[in-house]
Amino acid sequence: MSQRRSWALASGFFAIAVAALGLSAYSGASSSQGYAPPQPVNFPHPRHVKQLGMNCLYCHYTANRSPDPGLPAVGTCMGCHQVVRGPRQAIQGIADRDTAALNQLLSYAKGTSDQWKPIPWIRIHKLPEYVHFPHFRHVNAGVTCQTCHGPVPEMQRVYQYASLNMGWCVNCHVKGYKLADGLLAAGDTAGARAAANVEPKKARYDCSVCHF
Amino acid sequence: MATLVEPLDQRPNVATANIQLPAVESYEQVDREIAGTLVPTTGWFALLGISIAFFLWGAGAWVYQIYWGLGNAGYNPPVMWGVYIISFVFWVGIGHAGTLISAILYLFRAGFRTTIYRCAEAMTVFAVMTAGLFPIIHIGRPWKFFWLVPYPNWRLIWPNFKSPLVWDVFAISTYLTVSATFLYVGLIPDIAVLRDRATNPVKKRILAVMSLGWRNSEPEWRHFARMYLFLAAFSTPLVLSVHSVVSFDFAMAVTPGWHATIFPPYFVAGAIFSGIGMVFTIIIPIRKFFRLQHIVTINHLDAAAKLALFTSMVVGCAYLIEFWVAWYSANEFEQAYFWNRVFGQWWWAAWIMLSCNMIFPLSLFSQKLRRNPTWLFILSILINIGMWYERFVIIVPSLSHEFEPWQWSGYVPSWVDVSILAGSFGWFFMWFLLFIKNLPVIAIAEVKEIIPPRLRSHAPVADIDVTGHHVDYSPETPGERE
Amino acid sequence: MTQPPKTVVKRREFLKVLGSTGAAATAVGCSMERVEQLIPYVVSPDHTVPGVSTNYATICRECAAACGVIAEVRDGRAIKLEGNPDHPVNRGALCARGQAALQGLYNPDRYRGPMIRRDNRLQPATWDEALARVRQGLDEARAANAASGVRFVSQHENGSFPGFVDQWMAAGGFGAHIAFDAEADLAARAANQAEYGSAWPALDFTAAHLIVSIGADFLDGWGSSVAHQLSFADARAKLGAAPRFVYIGARRSLTGLNADEWIACRPGSELAIAEGLLGAVGGTSTGTMAVAATASGVTEAALQRLADELRAARPSLVLGGVNTPDAYLVSQAAARINRAAGNVGVTVKPDQGSTIGGADGARALAALATEMNAGTVRVLFVRGANPVYTLPKAAQFAEGMAKVPLKVSFSSYPDETSELCDVVLPDHHALESWGDSEPVRGTLGLQQPVMDPLFNTRATADVLIAMARADTAMAARYTNAMYRDALTSRYGGGQGAFTAALSTGLGQGSALARSTAASSAAAPAAPTAAPQAIAGDGEFFLVVHPSPALGAGAGANKPWLQELPDPVSKIAWQSWVEIHPSTAARLGVHAGDHLTVTTAAGSVTAPAYLYLGIHPEAVAVSLGQGHTAYGRYAQGLGVNAVDTLGATYDGGGRLAWTQAKARVAKAAGHSRLVSTEGSARQHGRGIAQALTAAQLAAGETGGAHHEFIGDASHEFLPGLRAPVANDAQGDLGSQSSTKKGMYADDHWSGMASRRWAMTIDLSRCTGCSACVTACYAENNIPTVGARWQGRSLRPFHTADGAGWDSTPGANILKGREMAWLRIERYFEGGESGETDFETRFVPMLCQHCGNAPCESVCPVFATYHAPDGLNVQVYNRCVGTRYCSNACPYKVRYFNWHGYGEAERRQFAFPDPLHLQLNPDVTVRGKGVMEKCTFCVQRIRDAENRATAEGRSVEGDEFTTACAQACPSRAIVFGDAASEEWSVARQVEDPRAYHVFEELNTYTAVVYLKKVNHPGGPR
Repeated sequence: MSQRRSWALASGFFAIAVAALGLSAYSGASSSQGYAPPQPVNFPHPRHVKQLGMNCLYCHYTANRSPDPGLPAVGTCMGCHQVVRGPRQAIQGIADRDTAALNQLLSYAKGTSDQWKPIPWIRIHKLPEYVHFPHFRHVNAGVTCQTCHGPVPEMQRVYQYASLNMGWCVNCHVKGYKLADGLLAAGDTAGARAAANVEPKKARYDCSVCHF
Repeated sequence: MATLVEPLDQRPNVATANIQLPAVESYEQVDREIAGTLVPTTGWFALLGISIAFFLWGAGAWVYQIYWGLGNAGYNPPVMWGVYIISFVFWVGIGHAGTLISAILYLFRAGFRTTIYRCAEAMTVFAVMTAGLFPIIHIGRPWKFFWLVPYPNWRLIWPNFKSPLVWDVFAISTYLTVSATFLYVGLIPDIAVLRDRATNPVKKRILAVMSLGWRNSEPEWRHFARMYLFLAAFSTPLVLSVHSVVSFDFAMAVTPGWHATIFPPYFVAGAIFSGIGMVFTIIIPIRKFFRLQHIVTINHLDAAAKLALFTSMVVGCAYLIEFWVAWYSANEFEQAYFWNRVFGQWWWAAWIMLSCNMIFPLSLFSQKLRRNPTWLFILSILINIGMWYERFVIIVPSLSHEFEPWQWSGYVPSWVDVSILAGSFGWFFMWFLLFIKNLPVIAIAEVKEIIPPRLRSHAPVADIDVTGHHVDYSPETPGERE
Repeated sequence: MTQPPKTVVKRREFLKVLGSTGAAATAVGCSMERVEQLIPYVVSPDHTVPGVSTNYATICRECAAACGVIAEVRDGRAIKLEGNPDHPVNRGALCARGQAALQGLYNPDRYRGPMIRRDNRLQPATWDEALARVRQGLDEARAANAASGVRFVSQHENGSFPGFVDQWMAAGGFGAHIAFDAEADLAARAANQAEYGSAWPALDFTAAHLIVSIGADFLDGWGSSVAHQLSFADARAKLGAAPRFVYIGARRSLTGLNADEWIACRPGSELAIAEGLLGAVGGTSTGTMAVAATASGVTEAALQRLADELRAARPSLVLGGVNTPDAYLVSQAAARINRAAGNVGVTVKPDQGSTIGGADGARALAALATEMNAGTVRVLFVRGANPVYTLPKAAQFAEGMAKVPLKVSFSSYPDETSELCDVVLPDHHALESWGDSEPVRGTLGLQQPVMDPLFNTRATADVLIAMARADTAMAARYTNAMYRDALTSRYGGGQGAFTAALSTGLGQGSALARSTAASSAAAPAAPTAAPQAIAGDGEFFLVVHPSPALGAGAGANKPWLQELPDPVSKIAWQSWVEIHPSTAARLGVHAGDHLTVTTAAGSVTAPAYLYLGIHPEAVAVSLGQGHTAYGRYAQGLGVNAVDTLGATYDGGGRLAWTQAKARVAKAAGHSRLVSTEGSARQHGRGIAQALTAAQLAAGETGGAHHEFIGDASHEFLPGLRAPVANDAQGDLGSQSSTKKGMYADDHWSGMASRRWAMTIDLSRCTGCSACVTACYAENNIPTVGARWQGRSLRPFHTADGAGWDSTPGANILKGREMAWLRIERYFEGGESGETDFETRFVPMLCQHCGNAPCESVCPVFATYHAPDGLNVQVYNRCVGTRYCSNACPYKVRYFNWHGYGEAERRQFAFPDPLHLQLNPDVTVRGKGVMEKCTFCVQRIRDAENRATAEGRSVEGDEFTTACAQACPSRAIVFGDAASEEWSVARQVEDPRAYHVFEELNTYTAVVYLKKVNHPGGPR
């Protein structure tokens, strides 16, 4: 008898838990984590960042002085690719150049610069319009790009790494950003070791900091 | 059944004169007549059709409003609450008589409840179901309504437990659950009766499940009675708490005309009053069309009418005290508002309220009128209207005539408001009509208890058990003892 | 969940820039599913950072004052205009019309490109076709050697442009150029020129002890309002020592409402009064008080008292500027009074005057119309001006145009005039083009394009130059290919210096003057013109006046200005007839009843507005409405008061707006007034409090307006000082609360140590409403009054929109205007028949209560108390229960009843390209959520971000809110009341400080400073 009652109790709790989970899923699940659309130009981050060691800020040139990270102008690409174009065999361990993507770029940059067309990139990381995310505050606070954007240098095709849900944001604002983790994500193991016992950097979690 | 929970040394339950049913000859007759009401008729289908049509029209209006925005309702800022909240409070109020009659009067051993309580209880459940819709209809983004429910979420935010609206969520859901349970528990023996009378095997099966295999044994009756008593005791405080909470929606805001400590008792009394009004509106046609005048007797109506008279006087008293407080507080905002209420912009609404809730019910001092079903029916309609306008008068004039003179305004409902209000009546009566043709609208088992005591003698004219089955007489028969 | 409107994407493609925070996004938008494109620059321009504003100094061209403005440009789009702090005229302030220039730039009805009339309809064409058509017309004119029959009508603007056109016309051997200004008080300019030797002397209100205005509405349209207002407010801020202000006129305009005393005279009797006063102060005058009294219907005693006061109070300041045919003489008399009273050089400073001038009045256009009707005009160029609308029917301008073979319009908008033209060569908006002005003698205000042209338009000056260079006869004189080069070549120091000057928008030098020949038409009538009585058949004087927001009609196509309640009547989107309550009672007229006002010239019918401030023998109608063209926002609203006017002009050649008597009859019909006014009386609730100068001198502060049971201590400073006063999460109402919101006091962010607060000085505020429009511009507030924004009236609608409430201002009739900041206008006195009454203006906005009634009732924390003292509204959390608004005693919360921010709803408030103006830093609210003043939280956060980026903390008075920034009275001061670095912390210590509804224990962050009145009697 008592067993039966406890069983009934359990099932009741189970039902409540399911309902709660359902609600919370519905409330928070509108994330496009892992979204990886094909881009008009199949830009190989690994080639540029990993092999050639370019800094993120070279192309995303306003990430440290504006709310917007900035996208490279076609001019920026052509700065190099006026010269660096066409196929090339593998030499000294550097793989042969993949001209497919390059040709995609050149298809936007035909003729003289006044004939160039902008590249219609497909947006991946998109916060709802009622959230204000100043990139520069985060970059200047020492948050490494990889902390939120993931191992972009490894990504043949960029995908959305984090969920970008509010819970994800608030979590870091409340618990604080651990520099070591950030550096580790950025691949700087040495730095990470050095920063091992740096205090986590907390941030304001008041609603009106991001929502207005 | 009350008798079952009494100590054994007490006398059997003999119905007092004013609630006896002399016209009832036998248990069998009770079964026959009450179960007989369950046969669908064309008139019933017509009414059901109309109700559903109203409901669908209202639902359509709601969809329309969600798409085009609340602007299509009649809101006229600063009147930010209108027909929807008025109707919400109205329906919650209706929902109070049921529990009062079935629970509180049960505890008070008020026999006259026996024949009307089932109807009142069903009404309660459906009224609360209706009321629960309105807050959702009313808000700007209904698809976010669940944010008022506390549930674990990855935003790490909870509802604001300081807000009366959150209390509402709890109050309404609790009340719905408890009153629904109460209704169902009371139904079990009757369902068993239907089960045994059912010929259609499918129906029989369903009823069998619903009756939880009721076998009419002594232990079952004992547990049943305990359970019923417990639920009655449990829901009694709810009758008072739920509408107190609803009244906090207003009393907790600084708005003149709302910010008053009298609100909880005032609302509870009003709620019970309106509920009894609605009971009359429903039971009087039922006893007429189902020819149950000999079961729901004039005596019962008379007694209920006295209750109506009493609550009406409580409400009236509250009205007057409000004015007195406004005067005595010397708070000019309050005074300006109450003046505006009766003599200003909104005099007509206020006078509808005062006459319907305070003046007309005084007629019930006359026994003649108390015992005149026609008058009771008319009065009950007036009470329903009056109580709807009471909420109108509380909400609209307060908001339209607040602190800031520059923002004084008016208010006219739009076609959307009216459609949705009509739809809510459609929804309510849809459920009620479905109820009366599927389950006994009068409690079979309890009626049997108040039929003439001669059936209860040790040598009964016919050996019939409470559920109306011819069995060999046994002393275990409930209500009897050596 | 609704998707953000597609227009966002369109904008981004259009901009060719990185889409920044969603401009036209909606609070309900959850746009994860939608594929959105990011369009980078092709070649990134220098010195622009995506997502960061660039500011350009330029000039406002909305009126003749040519104030300096700073245009905030984000990602290639101008999103906000603010006054240029260095500019001598407006010193950083900007009026509502100036703010609304942006809606001219982004007006959805602008011509997208050149148009040519084909089969009697204006149809899109290429520039080559259009220019060829014009050239052909000019050649025909030359061939018929009627070159002098080529005429040019332009909207006059302060600067070189009129002179440039003069030269162009001369070079082509064409006829005279008319630089038309419909609103400027040309008579006053002429009189000033004659009396002071300066068309518009600088007026120093602060130096005066008494200000007497004879019909001169110096706060709403007479001369350079912003400049006047800055000085006037400073004068009023002297409180006890402030000048008393007496207004003489038939109608209390906004200026009149700011007066301490109103002398209500019959229209047309101003001259008599002026003459009387002139005599009284010892000037040579024929007038006497007795004459004045009989003429004006004012008691001789009252006038005598004024005269004595005028004699006693020195220096004083007397301003004359009426709309009657006597305008010139009144201004002349006023000038002479000033001379006699020794005000010249003290309060009136001719040497510091502006060089404003060279504008032609309606009379010049009427003359042109006669020529056109005579058929001697072969080609007509029109730029900016809209004569068909502004001129009386009697002038027969439209008829004349029909007789002109080729009509060319340079207008940007499809107004009444350009709709009659054969060719439209749309001009750039002022914010897209080059130009200059000379606001003060010797100082140049420079106008530069702040963004690339929105549409396929060309600057008129450049078009003219191109045409000249293509023309053998004229080419020689045009060496510069572009107008800009013409400007730089004239500029001392040339290119380099010019470019340098652009950063401030100010330079040295003087604008190109108009050639005398051309401006001959502008010369005033003989200064000795005899006084003209206001005659006509009818028992009422008809007072026609420009609208403070719409001017003489130019503002009508800008929704912000249509939505802005008229500062006097508080009516929007509508025309009305002002009539005195006593008169109305006599005629049995109630507010809203239609009145027909009939003069010899014609008649208009509009709803009646019962107004204490109009002379009982007069009715008043405002200019500006009644457009038959001019775009979706202007068309078909109200009536055009000009229809009642005959061709009577004042001494300056301007149309005499108040010129005749009229018959007033009650017409069939009644329409509710689209007014934001609930009750015009305070019912003793002490919302707008005032002191007399005497009380102030006696050291009384007036105290609370009265005591309440359970009243709070009037000692609110501690509550205000507290970082977060007693917020919803603290111990309610307790001054000693230790709970300061979600952070501890010592939170590292320092957020909890601030208390953002605001003071509003009612003795400075003039009720001009510049702050209101500034707020609309900054905070993406939708306008809701347009006729397609109404609600549904029945379940089923036809495609043509029948079934929707299409009354203009339908939403406002329902009290649904969205103005986060509103100006309440309360009347005191005047109920019991006395003429004079007092007016108090109260800017009412969210009070950011420390102990806010709205916060505790919100079930989802959508509104809550931020640690820095803000009462925050989180749009995306709001579910729309509207409980907060019910709880708010100040009624400053506004609900999105319709999808004003959603392009797919018919109530959409930002039709393409208006949405390009939206501030990317502020969320556009979706339907079903509550919104309200945020104290410009986006500016606060931006300042914090900037400070952090520069490794410092936010400094005192580093930034301010949009309303405070725009305010031409400097009445609003915003800042951190908890820190002495901010001037607001000092302001709140003023003895006049009070909280509205203090007795409610709300501990508001907005502190009002009592108004100071100067009741009668010479000092």
